[in-house]
Amino acid sequence: MNLKNVIKFTRSRSLENAAVVSVLLLIYNFIFPIHSNPIVSLVNEVLVFLTIFFIYNYISPYTELRKDAPLSLVLNAGILGALVFFVISLANSAIGDGNSIKSDTGAVNTLFTTVLNYIFIIVLAYIFSTFRTLYYLRQKKDQSLYFNTMLFFFVMTFFSEFANFSSSLDFIHDAFFIVTIVLISLNSLKVSWIAFLTKKQKLYLLLISIILSILFGFNFGLLNESNVIKMILFKLSVGLYTVFSLVMIYGMIYFGVIFFTTLFHLPTAEAFDRRSEEISSLMDLTKLITQVFDFKELADSIINFTTKICNSNAAWLVTISEDGIEVTAVNNIGYVEARLAAELFLKDSVKGVYSITTADEIDERFNFRTVAVAPLNVHNKLSGYLFTARLSEVDFDKDEKNTLQTYADYASVALENAKLIAESIEKERLEKELDVARDVQRKILPVNFPVSDNYELSALFIPAFEVGGDYYDFFELSDNRLGFIVADVSGKGISAAFIMAELKGIFESLAKIVNSPTELLIKANEILKDSLDKKNFVTAVYGILDYKNGIMKIARAGHTPIIYCSAGKISRLLPKGIGLGLDYSAKFENSLEELEINLKDGDVFVIYSDGIPEAKNSMNEDFGYDRFENIISSNCKKNLDGIANEIVKEITLFSKDHTQHDDITLVIIRWSS
Amino acid sequence: MADFNVGLRDAGSVSIVELKGYLDAHTAPELENIFNKLIRENKFKIVVNFNQLNYISSAGLGVFMAYVETMRENNGDIKFANLKENVYNIFDLLGFPLLYEFYKDENEAIQKFNEPGKS
Repeated sequence: MNLKNVIKFTRSRSLENAAVVSVLLLIYNFIFPIHSNPIVSLVNEVLVFLTIFFIYNYISPYTELRKDAPLSLVLNAGILGALVFFVISLANSAIGDGNSIKSDTGAVNTLFTTVLNYIFIIVLAYIFSTFRTLYYLRQKKDQSLYFNTMLFFFVMTFFSEFANFSSSLDFIHDAFFIVTIVLISLNSLKVSWIAFLTKKQKLYLLLISIILSILFGFNFGLLNESNVIKMILFKLSVGLYTVFSLVMIYGMIYFGVIFFTTLFHLPTAEAFDRRSEEISSLMDLTKLITQVFDFKELADSIINFTTKICNSNAAWLVTISEDGIEVTAVNNIGYVEARLAAELFLKDSVKGVYSITTADEIDERFNFRTVAVAPLNVHNKLSGYLFTARLSEVDFDKDEKNTLQTYADYASVALENAKLIAESIEKERLEKELDVARDVQRKILPVNFPVSDNYELSALFIPAFEVGGDYYDFFELSDNRLGFIVADVSGKGISAAFIMAELKGIFESLAKIVNSPTELLIKANEILKDSLDKKNFVTAVYGILDYKNGIMKIARAGHTPIIYCSAGKISRLLPKGIGLGLDYSAKFENSLEELEINLKDGDVFVIYSDGIPEAKNSMNEDFGYDRFENIISSNCKKNLDGIANEIVKEITLFSKDHTQHDDITLVIIRWSS
Repeated sequence: MADFNVGLRDAGSVSIVELKGYLDAHTAPELENIFNKLIRENKFKIVVNFNQLNYISSAGLGVFMAYVETMRENNGDIKFANLKENVYNIFDLLGFPLLYEFYKDENEAIQKFNEPGKS
């Protein structure tokens, strides 16, 4: 076992060790009540030392725990010091010099003196460990070497007393004693923790420390005279007596040093208090910035801190927006008064913080005499002002103005953050709504298509990033007819999605009652008049397939041409017709043309939105009609999903480096007799 | 894509709006501002020169639809001139030529405004 393990072991079992050793000591003293023999005396000294050591080990963690409250540590040590004083004084007057105790070997006497010594040992250990805790308080560097050296000399002094039985060796004891006192004096200078006390605490400490210094001095003096307590200590162990005296000296010196240090610290105490309050409130503010994102709450906290730190009576925050200035938060002042002050004291030309003191009443509605203003700047842009005001005519000093500006800087960042977060939450909300719109759009488009032996259907919809207004649908009509629609609402976003949803209603109901594609588009145009914006329009192709008779009737309103593949030949069908919503007069009706085609077996119609021909590549070129038609003509005989896949594949290849700007809708119909 | 320019000049009582680049949802407000300005100045006879316009989206088309009524109500009009083929095709597909006057050349359009008896 090495030394560290021993220390660890004795620390972890300090109470048991202390108990065992003290019982051993008691028994030993019963056997040898008088230590005349050097060997007997040495064993006794070792036992006493171990008792002190273990009790000290047991107590020191407790004083360590209270290192954040040095004043209470000082007070506790003081109370113990006072206790020692009273015990000594009381015993002195009650028992006298107590010479008889020394030679009394009776068991009762031994028990009494030993137990009393235990109390002294506990007091000794507690006071010493208090000094140790205070010594290490607020130390920036590792100073344990100095303290441990002192500790070593304490131990040496303890044992040198034993060597004292021969008076020729006196100098050893004296040397150790003096060196220990010198080390005590040096170590007593480590009192930097005093600086961190508030002014009130310092005043308190000043008072206690002088009392305690004197008290410990008295204790030392009393112990030096021949009296009963000295006898009792002496009887058990000479070393204990010496170390006890040393601790009393330590107390006297240490509290004396504390007294003078505190005294010298007093004049700067107020400034120190203010600085530390500034720092702690800046820290609170920093915490607020990272935790509170509510603008109002932040603004309130900022002005509360401002009043506290600038020693002012009121504070308020003014923000600048497009609508002019606005009082956002107030503390100890009304909104009306704050606004008035903002109008009275704001100077456009001043960039930094400034203050204004007025002897006379400027306005009867304004109660304050001194005002300080700091601008709030975000990214070199003025976003508002932080005001603070005093009722008195005492101007704000330089420090206070600097603090105000620091606060204003923090405030502007915090407020900007709060604003940005609010914005991003709003943006997220809008994006969620767009998601909903996209979802709705998907649900409006049909999933299950009508099925018949006479036709095949295929439809495909690829949405762009934004919600668009593409719409397609199939309607099973009476008399073996199939209605189909492909439409595209101009523009993007929610408004287009709304119109698209409306189209579904319009076409679904009209398809059932109107038998001609042109007539249907005319009716749809009339209905859309009420819901379409002036700048919005809808392009559409509506067709009716009479699949028993093999007749296709088709009309177009401003939509992209229908691609028609018949007997291996490709053609573009472009029946005349202007877009829905472009005109609501007879011009619309007159413009519409209806194509009627007698179908051949295997005829294919491809209807689509302009997302296909206008798909762009990285060179910003259009996919165009020629490419499109080539794909259709070479895949005309394939099944419809095969054709659709081929088209999508080609478009994807073509525009691989380009984001898709527009929805892509593709509807393919093939008739077979 | 944001590369778009609107020029404005006068030819007698007619205002010529010259478009350049891409007219889409992002750039349309610029053109709207010009039309608003012309309306404030009581200038309702407008010829739009498309000579340097490369692309027009549905949002771009919407701008003309939104303003033409105001112009026509005030004895004016919006006439289209010097369109490139691809841009004209977009107008054509939608049926704009049935509702608006298109000219090969700007001067033709200006002349049309100045013809007596006509608006």
